[in-house]
Amino acid sequence: MSGVLVEIRDLALTRPGADRPGLERFSLSLQRAEIVTLLGEADSGKDLLLRYLDGSERCDGALGSVRFGEGEVLPAGRRTGLPFRAAYLPPARPLPLSPRASAASQLSRIVARKLECPRGAAREDLRAALARIEGAPPFDQFRRPAESLSDAALSFGLLAAALAIAPELVLCDHFFDGLSPASAAALCSALRAERARLGFAILYAASGPQAVARLGGRAIVLRQGRIVEEGDAEHLMSGQTHAYTRSLFGALPQPLSPAPQRPTPRGEPLLQVYGLLLQSGGRKAPKAPSRHALNFELRRGASLALLGEEGSGRRALMRAVLGLERRPGRIVFDAVDIGLLSETMMLRLRRRVAIVTGADDALDPRMSLFDTVDEPLRAHLRLSEDLAAGYRETALKRVGLHAYDGRAPVSSLSPFDRRRLQIARAIVAAPLLVVVDEPLRGLDAIAQTTIRDLLAEFRVEQQAAFLVITSDFAIAQVLADEAMVFSEGKLAERGQIRSLLSAPKTEATRALIAAAARRPLSPAAAPV
Amino acid sequence: MILRQISRLRGAFMIAGWSGLGLVGLIVALGDFLARFPAGHLHAGPALAPPSALYPFGTDLLGRDVWSETVHALGVTAANGAAAAVLTLVLGGALGFVAMRLGAAPRLFLRWLMGVLAAAPALLLAIVLIGLSARGYAGVAAGLAAAPLAFVRAFDRARSQSRSRRSEYARATGISAATLIRRDLVYEFRGVFLSTAARALAAVAIVYSTVSFLGFGAEPPRRDLGLMIAAAEASYLGAWWTAAFPALFLIALILFARLAAGLDEGERA
Repeated sequence: MSGVLVEIRDLALTRPGADRPGLERFSLSLQRAEIVTLLGEADSGKDLLLRYLDGSERCDGALGSVRFGEGEVLPAGRRTGLPFRAAYLPPARPLPLSPRASAASQLSRIVARKLECPRGAAREDLRAALARIEGAPPFDQFRRPAESLSDAALSFGLLAAALAIAPELVLCDHFFDGLSPASAAALCSALRAERARLGFAILYAASGPQAVARLGGRAIVLRQGRIVEEGDAEHLMSGQTHAYTRSLFGALPQPLSPAPQRPTPRGEPLLQVYGLLLQSGGRKAPKAPSRHALNFELRRGASLALLGEEGSGRRALMRAVLGLERRPGRIVFDAVDIGLLSETMMLRLRRRVAIVTGADDALDPRMSLFDTVDEPLRAHLRLSEDLAAGYRETALKRVGLHAYDGRAPVSSLSPFDRRRLQIARAIVAAPLLVVVDEPLRGLDAIAQTTIRDLLAEFRVEQQAAFLVITSDFAIAQVLADEAMVFSEGKLAERGQIRSLLSAPKTEATRALIAAAARRPLSPAAAPV
Repeated sequence: MILRQISRLRGAFMIAGWSGLGLVGLIVALGDFLARFPAGHLHAGPALAPPSALYPFGTDLLGRDVWSETVHALGVTAANGAAAAVLTLVLGGALGFVAMRLGAAPRLFLRWLMGVLAAAPALLLAIVLIGLSARGYAGVAAGLAAAPLAFVRAFDRARSQSRSRRSEYARATGISAATLIRRDLVYEFRGVFLSTAARALAAVAIVYSTVSFLGFGAEPPRRDLGLMIAAAEASYLGAWWTAAFPALFLIALILFARLAAGLDEGERA
């Protein structure tokens, strides 16, 4: 199967109300069964192009021309819809389906609408597509409400719905974003396998070079609506011409080779966990010691990564450590047994904890930027306005938000700014323990580098202990010294990260390393 | 597209509603200048004279100027309605947000109690409260009667907030319930204050006027719009103006309040 599928010449698109074009003089010749990745930051124009092709974005006064297949050349402003079947694959977050309705029925409805067939037939097509995809959950799992599905499961469902219509073009809008490396790798394999079978072309909008590495094909680097570099993925991976492209590719984490051993912090223990059971339902400890009971300690200034896939037990451990869920076992935080504390006392103890999470709804969107940073100072330390303002300014400067309007609500900030604001809030709280939970999720490449660097600096300067929850070995390698690998609610393996990388003992660890190692990791990132 | 248009219309409704309420406030403030006669002035003209240049709203059975009486009655209804709305806002809206952050036992008890009270029609609740106090407290009774539903709305809103990820994030970093209450009051309540106040005003204006219409409200010679409509019962079929104009003013007051609330579903009256 060969020939041109979409031919775009000198396309200029402007969003309604925008004062400048979001995409300028863009040309693309997309062949059948070809893979093209559009790489760039949020305002680069890649999303605009995808939505223009999908027909979901109204772009008044589009300039240039477009031709589909062997059809006639059309002025870009007159285009009404794609003359062939195209599927649109959004990321799993924010949830692209109604949260409380059954995912299966919603996906079937999408397939039925695209194929213009009865819902029952669409359901069978969806079931068959799911059965074909390796690693996809069974169809029955999708009968549940969409909000109860994990990101990975939902992504498999969306992929199956896309494949069920046998498309000629798949438009992927940051489809792998927010997924663990293992899930992203599994979905990528499935997408490539189905492409080989069905022969569809893929146009992938990505904010990081990981997608280029995973999918291969051709890559077009966009910046502020203009193409800055274009070429074969392998060629771009090995060397970049434009400085902007270099900065995007430089954002890739360091290679998964054993890094030089860092000195182990010799501080007092901050967190001690004895006989903690993650899988037990009750609060009482069993009479006989269980072989799955967790015992570990985290010293002041040390950093421990909790590695594993979604549902592997990492967050359950984090919640237990913070006293948000009571579980059998003994947890000592800052020399206090938290099992003996009332909720009020526990709340006081948690004042010395800061959290930086990849969830963008962690901060109150109604609060202003200043109030968000001030709140720990006022609520915990009861500082005066002037004193709080001094700490706030310092923290905002450190994360690069000091030039922003402090009265602006959090809801008006981008995900990257919200992540930096979380770090500023953590800085002013002067925590003993910082919980970092998938901190780079959903960010573009340059934003990932900035957040990673800010966290690394924060750790060095503040001397706080870090608990890093991630499914990505590369992030763990940058932010932590030791790691505990979780699988199916149990601890699979633990040790120094360099030892785990050089000699993994369990399948779970090997799978995590393999998923992270699929990236063409640059040798640049320096350890903390 | 349609949703965006409705949303834009809602903004226009709110502006129209608040402008209307401003006009009502102006009429009440200038009541003594606008009315040609003091409240309850008998034999200002012939009995049941139809609307004319001299008596724009006509006169009633006792020769009172209906325009002057309607302006005075609007003042009484609006003042009682505003006071009752404040009571609804404080005991309903604000307390609902605070109650959600209390300990489990008082929280559940208050939610249960207010849920039971909210299930009863506010009008009947107001009549019961007047019976337990005195007739002069009709405004207070109307405010208290509308408070349970406002409480339930605020409580449920605060509960959905407390289940959000940001609430868990706050709890995990030691933010106390008192700080979260402050957040709700400062941000959540402030954000919906105007629309909640307007909604409460519409609800209590209905309850208060109906209570007065039934004879449990304002005491003569002080009259409000409900009592004026009730007093026109004997003459209404032959002299429509005696009830129609007070009713129109009452409708305008409630409509403006509803519009100011963005035509949001009102507290049940």
